[in-house]
Amino acid sequence: MSNQLEILLLDDELIVGKRLKPALEKIGCCVEVFQDPREAMKRIGEKEFDIVVTDIYMEEMDGMQVLEMVHDQWPRTKIIMITGYAMISLARDAMEQGAFDFIAKPFKPDDLRKVIAKAAEALGSPLDLNAPVN
Amino acid sequence: MEISQHNSENSGSKNEVDGSAKHLYGHIADIREAQQTLMSRLHFSVRKQIYLGNVLVFLFVLVIAVVLILNNEKVQTRLKFLEFVNEFSAEVQQARRYEKNYFLYGTNLSDAIENIHLARLIFTRELNTFAELQDQMTREGILNKIESYESLLGQLFQKQQQNVVELHKTGFSKGIETKLRKYGQDILASAESMMTVEKRALEKSLDQSRDFHIYSILVLLVILTMNAWLLVGRIYTTLSRFSTYAQRIASGDFRPILPKRKFRDEFTDLAVAINEMIKEIDTREAVLIQTHKMRAVGTLTSGVAHELNNPLNNIMLTAHMLLEDYQDLSDDERKDMLKDVTEETDRARKIIRNLLDFARESSSAMESVDLYQLLKETITLLENQIRLAGITVDIQFTDDLPRIHGDAQKLQQVFVNLLLNAMDASSKGGKIQVMGCLEEKADAVKVAVIDYGQGIPRHIVSSVFDPFFTTKPKGKGTGLGLSVSQGIVAKHGGSIKVTSKEGSGSSFNVILPVVTFPELHSFHL
Repeated sequence: MSNQLEILLLDDELIVGKRLKPALEKIGCCVEVFQDPREAMKRIGEKEFDIVVTDIYMEEMDGMQVLEMVHDQWPRTKIIMITGYAMISLARDAMEQGAFDFIAKPFKPDDLRKVIAKAAEALGSPLDLNAPVN
Repeated sequence: MEISQHNSENSGSKNEVDGSAKHLYGHIADIREAQQTLMSRLHFSVRKQIYLGNVLVFLFVLVIAVVLILNNEKVQTRLKFLEFVNEFSAEVQQARRYEKNYFLYGTNLSDAIENIHLARLIFTRELNTFAELQDQMTREGILNKIESYESLLGQLFQKQQQNVVELHKTGFSKGIETKLRKYGQDILASAESMMTVEKRALEKSLDQSRDFHIYSILVLLVILTMNAWLLVGRIYTTLSRFSTYAQRIASGDFRPILPKRKFRDEFTDLAVAINEMIKEIDTREAVLIQTHKMRAVGTLTSGVAHELNNPLNNIMLTAHMLLEDYQDLSDDERKDMLKDVTEETDRARKIIRNLLDFARESSSAMESVDLYQLLKETITLLENQIRLAGITVDIQFTDDLPRIHGDAQKLQQVFVNLLLNAMDASSKGGKIQVMGCLEEKADAVKVAVIDYGQGIPRHIVSSVFDPFFTTKPKGKGTGLGLSVSQGIVAKHGGSIKVTSKEGSGSSFNVILPVVTFPELHSFHL
């Protein structure tokens, strides 16, 4: 289990976490889901995740702030930004600031899986999407 | 969102109950009715009044002229008669002088006869003139006396022909002399009295003529004054009324001029033309407002698009996972997922409906409006925009606010404009306050939209409501938002006031009267 990817998923939409957690667990990831950015930040302060997936727009805190803080604290961690349709320009800014990739809403679970697989490859521990772990 | 739906249904049924929903724009039916009534009235033009006035003055002057000419004729007749009486009395006097000579010296009898004959001729010749002025009795009396006088002289003449010596000293002559003297005196006295009477009559005629002149001038003055007064009154009061109307139209009150007078004239044509103009302006303004609204809708669409992605994403993720794991899921899990899908679909529908409600070209109707409710709905409509801009909007209304009478859709557009402006002025993390309270006199409600942004430089504060005035970068603002907003508020009988301090923010205060334009002061002609 030590080679399992540690993922933190932050989105203030409840359903996003509810559906993506099992979706990502199926490809052998260990997923922690947060709705509240502050709690997520607290958790990030405690633990180094391999991948952080965060929404750019949230009521409490900006995804860009999350990006900045994670990047400062855990330079190795890959950060994937979830953006709204109209926010492509902001996503590009995020890329410039060191985000690994971005994914625009609405997306399929497979879309995220692919991005995560890409990130896993970059981290040196590739995932086999075709052989899901049950 | 629930609220807005409920409210629109509510207002719909309200209009049906009223049966006479007042519209803010497009008074086309009103105008058509007003036009027809205006044109169907009896025609009495200003031109006719001018003509009529002049004809009346002319007729009056004509009457004066005729009366004066007649009076003049009368004076002339009297003068002629006086001349005749004078001539007549001169002849009689001459006859009497000769008659005296005859009785003293026995001479001039034939001269006397000649003179009295002349006098009689004059008298009979001028009998017609005479007839108008003296009664028949007097006339016949005088004529008789002349004839008697003549016949007495004739008797003397006959005696003289018989060569009676010293006839003038005989008793026969003495007898005749007495009679002659009597007749002569009577004739002269009559002539004298005729002259006196005629002189008096002449004086009277002249006096009358003078008085008539004075009075007719006075009456003419009165008639001319009345004529001018009526004409000026009609033209001046109507023109000043029109200038008031023009000012009101300029301030955005596009109600048509309604018929009030019982007749139709040039001003009616003007009123009809103005009503046509109002119709055009009104339609154009409604189009302008709608066009501008579509711009606001465009701005709001980006927020909606973003907001819409959340439920769409949720549906997509849920549906895919359901498809993927269908066999492995329990019934409860499947149901939970499907419930999520339906709920999220509903959420998406509401997001769109809110914007569509706002975008819809509504038949603007006047209704009772709760401004607090309206502002809350407006903020809900702008929620995505507000969130994207990272701004907080704080709404505070006092409890005692009365409902106002207005067009909720149009007023919402005003507040959307003001809030979007406030958001543009605010920086990220900024705050906008919306405050509602009753005006001091309690006859109006004030809604203030306050931002703490960069403020408006003092030198342009006065131009912010001008059409096409904008401080926003090219392509971002049309410069019509505030102009259109002010137009809408003006239509409600209210106003928008701005106070701003450079560097510390602006406050746009919308003041709306509890009752709109009172019908009492509407346009009439």
